[in-house]
Amino acid sequence: MTDSPNALALTRPVIRGLIILNALYAFAIGALLVATLLYPPLLFKALGVPEGEGAWELRTALRAVVVVGLVGAYVAYRVLRELLAIVDTVRIGDPFVAGNARRLQAIAWWVLAGEVLRMLVAAIAWAADKAVPSFGIDFDIAFSFAPWLAVLLLFVLARVFEQGARMRADLEGTV
Amino acid sequence: MAIVVRLDEKLHERRMTLTELSERVDITLANLSILKTGKARAIRFSTLEAICAALDCQPGDLLVFDPAQPSEE
Repeated sequence: MTDSPNALALTRPVIRGLIILNALYAFAIGALLVATLLYPPLLFKALGVPEGEGAWELRTALRAVVVVGLVGAYVAYRVLRELLAIVDTVRIGDPFVAGNARRLQAIAWWVLAGEVLRMLVAAIAWAADKAVPSFGIDFDIAFSFAPWLAVLLLFVLARVFEQGARMRADLEGTV
Repeated sequence: MAIVVRLDEKLHERRMTLTELSERVDITLANLSILKTGKARAIRFSTLEAICAALDCQPGDLLVFDPAQPSEE
């Protein structure tokens, strides 16, 4: 390991902090969803969604994006939990275990799911913009190669860990 | 495992304890224990060489193939 132990010690609280932030984010947008259902006029006025023509489309789109955001928060939570579990095995000093290969693969799937959700948000925003062009939705969701590359990398890394775990197990019984 | 380690018998023959052997061949007692109880999955040539030298025997004296034993999956 070339990383300093300090970086590793810092990772755990950082991930824990991110889990809390993610939970706050989920709570906030969950509250937003509840608010749009309980007091629609007040909130939509605050957000600048006009009454009348196209209002229904915009509200539905906003609610759909919030629901996708909630699913996204769950995805982020799962990724962070798996990451925390991996970091813990590193701290214990035995990261080459079959469990970590499985965890990396799970992270790869969750990141893939997150990217699909991002595209879903883009599709919703695009559809809402088509339905109500006058409102001029400002959506800034461009296609990015980085997440797909990360997914690919995670799948490869999961295989590497699988192999490493097998080699490690062999070495364990070697005298 | 159909490969049986006969370290115990050889040690008995040579009137040597596992601790003594461990000191002579510079292999930890824990690892020699694993070998003796047949829990080892592999043995390094260097380990085999050191044990053979210490016990003055051949690898065949230590490792025996016994088809009657259940083979590992």
